[in-house]
Amino acid sequence: MSYRSTDVDILDEDQLFQHELFTFAGGSELEPDVALKNVQAKGVDVRNFLTRGNTEKALTTAIENPPYGSNTTDAKDQNTKIVMEVLNSLKATDVSSIVKNLTLDQQDILMKYIYRGMASPELYNSAVLLNWHEKLTEVAGVGCIVRVTTDRRTV
Amino acid sequence: MILLDYHNVVIEETLKQPIVGLEPAVLDMTVVDFDGVSYRISTPQSKNIIRFSMLMQCFKELIQWGAQEMLQKEYGAYILPQTESGYDFSLEFDLQKLPEDKEERETLVKKVSLIKRNLLAQPFERAFEQQAQYEAEEQTNPTPILMQIHYRDQETIYIQAQYDRVTVIFSTLFKEETDRIFGRVFLQEFVDARRRPAIQKAPQVLYSSKDPPLEIRHLTEPQNENVGYVTFVLFPRHFVEGEVREKTISQIQLFRDYLHYHIKCSKAYMHSRMRARVQAFLKVLNRAKPESPTVEKKTITGKTLVRA
Amino acid sequence: MPFVSNTLRPYLAAVRSTLTAVLCLENFSSQVVERHNKPEVEARSSPEIVLNPLTISRNENEKVLIEPSVNSIRISIKIKQADEIEGILCHKFTRFMMLRAENFIILRRKPINGYDISFLITNFHMEQMYKHKLVDFIIQFMEEVDKEISEMKLSLNARARIVAESYLSQLTQTCELIPGHKRNFSNFNFLNKSKVLSYRNFRISEQG
Repeated sequence: MSYRSTDVDILDEDQLFQHELFTFAGGSELEPDVALKNVQAKGVDVRNFLTRGNTEKALTTAIENPPYGSNTTDAKDQNTKIVMEVLNSLKATDVSSIVKNLTLDQQDILMKYIYRGMASPELYNSAVLLNWHEKLTEVAGVGCIVRVTTDRRTV
Repeated sequence: MILLDYHNVVIEETLKQPIVGLEPAVLDMTVVDFDGVSYRISTPQSKNIIRFSMLMQCFKELIQWGAQEMLQKEYGAYILPQTESGYDFSLEFDLQKLPEDKEERETLVKKVSLIKRNLLAQPFERAFEQQAQYEAEEQTNPTPILMQIHYRDQETIYIQAQYDRVTVIFSTLFKEETDRIFGRVFLQEFVDARRRPAIQKAPQVLYSSKDPPLEIRHLTEPQNENVGYVTFVLFPRHFVEGEVREKTISQIQLFRDYLHYHIKCSKAYMHSRMRARVQAFLKVLNRAKPESPTVEKKTITGKTLVRA
Repeated sequence: MPFVSNTLRPYLAAVRSTLTAVLCLENFSSQVVERHNKPEVEARSSPEIVLNPLTISRNENEKVLIEPSVNSIRISIKIKQADEIEGILCHKFTRFMMLRAENFIILRRKPINGYDISFLITNFHMEQMYKHKLVDFIIQFMEEVDKEISEMKLSLNARARIVAESYLSQLTQTCELIPGHKRNFSNFNFLNKSKVLSYRNFRISEQG
C-alpha cells in the first residue's frame, strides 16, 4: 500500500466533519424509522387541516419540526412531499398574507423547502415554487436565503 | 449568390485571354473544382500550345457509361492522344490552329470550362435514354442497371432508370455532428418545399439518414451513421430532350456541392453572430467594473510619479 | 426588463435575489495548505467553508445551480434545448464563450456535469466589480442566450427554406416551357449543344 494515498488529515484532531457541523448547528440525529413515523403522523394531521380548509395551519404544521440529519432520507422525502402538497393547494393570491404571518424560523424552514422542491423540477411544479420564493423573499429578505445556505440542518 | 455556377470560372478566365483574345502567355497552374476534381493548365513547349489536363476520381466509371463518345464528339479535335502522366484526360490547343470565328472560340472556352459537368452528365443522359426505351417498348417491369458513380471517397451517386421515371440517389457524408444536424434541416426543407404551389412540379425529394433507400439496399456499402441519402425522382417531364434536360442534369449533379456550400455558409453566419453576441456580453460584464479615476501624481520635484 | 413570459420573470427574479444573497465573499486562505488561496467551492479543502448548494428551476430543462462557499461561488446554468438543432447551437455558443474565458474573467472553462455553462466568481472579482452589475450580467446573459439560440434556429430554417426553394424552382421552371404532352416538341425550338451552353451563361448573368 502506498503511503501517499493514506488520508492523513483524518487523523488530525482539528479536522471537522459534516456530522459534527450538524451537531454544532443544534441538530440531533433521529433513528430513520422514528423520523419516518413522525413525518407520517404529521402528514395525517396536515391532510386533516387541508380538508377542513385551514390552509394556514396545514402549512405551519407541515414545516414544523422537520426531519434533519444525514440518515433520514426517506423521512425528508416524505416531508418534502407533504410541504409541496400544501404549497400547491394554496391559492396564489393568498401567498403574501400567509407568508407575513409566519415566524422568522418558519420562514427559514419554508425557504429551505422551496429550494428543496426546485432541486427536483421533474417531481414538483417549479412555477408555483417560484411564486412562493418571490413572495417569501419580499417579506423575509435575502437574509432568509443566506440562512438557508449556512444552516447545516438541511431538509 | 444562392445558386452555384455549372462551369469552372477559373478555367474560363484563364483560357479567355489566350484562346479568345489570341494572346499567347506562359501558363502553368493547377485549378481545382468540386468533388476533388483538379485541372492543370500549362504551356510545356511554347506559348502557342496550351495543354489542359484533368484528374477526376470517377473518370473510369464515367467512361464506362459512355463518356468517351461525348469527349470525342465535343472535344475530339483537341484531344491529346498521349494523356499527361498523373491525369486522366488531356486536351491540347494550338493557338495557330483555332477557329477563325471569335464566337466559336468563345464557345470553345465555355465548353472546356464545362468539362466536368459534361462528363458527369453522361450517366444521366444514358438513364434518360433508357427510360425512353422502356417506355417505348412497354417494359413495365424492367430490370434496370444501377449506375454507380463514386464521385468522392465514401460518397456515391446512384442512377437508375425505370419504366416511368429515373431515380437519382446521392449518398453524402456529414463529417461533423453540426454538419449532420444542419444538413438534416436543409434536407427536410427540400422534402417540404414541394408543398408550396409554385414548385409543386419539381421532382420529388426523399431523404433518409442511416438507412439506405430500397433501390440500393442490396449493395453492401459500409453502414455509417453520418451518411445521408437523398433521392430525386425524375419524371419524363423533368428531362424533356433539349434545354430542359440539360438544365436538369446540370442542377442535379451539383446538388451535393450546393447543399454543403450552404451548410458551410450557415455555419459561417452563426459564427459571426456568436462573435457579435459575445462582444455584447463582454461589454455588459465590463460595465460591472468601476472606472478608476486616473489621477496624475507628482513628486515633490515636479516629476510625474510612475508606479512600477 | 423587456417583455418576458410568465414563468421567466419569477425565475429570473429568484436567481437575482439568490445571487444577491450569496454574493458576500471574503478573502480566505486555505486552512490546509500553507500560502494557498484557492476558490473553496472548487478546492473543497474543508467542509465548514463550503455552504449548502441551491437550485432554482423553471422546469426540467432550465435550471440554475448556485454553490456558495466562503470565498467563491459557482453558478451553473442549464439552457433550454427543445430539439437537436437548439442543442447543437447551444453547445456551439457556450463553447465559443468558454474558449474566450480569459476575457470573461468570471467564466469557468468547463461547465459542471449536467449543465451547459458555469461561472466562478471569487472574492477577487467582487473586489474589482460592482455586485449589482455583476448580478445584472448573469441575468442578462440568461435572458439573451435563449433569445439568441432561438433566433439562430429561425435564421437557419429560413435559409434552408430559401435554399431549397431556389434549387427546386430551377427544376420546375423548365416544365412550364413546354405545355401539353411531354413528348410534344412542335413549337419547341431545338437547340444544339453549344447554344445550350451559352444559354446557361445567360441564366447565370441573369441572376447577377
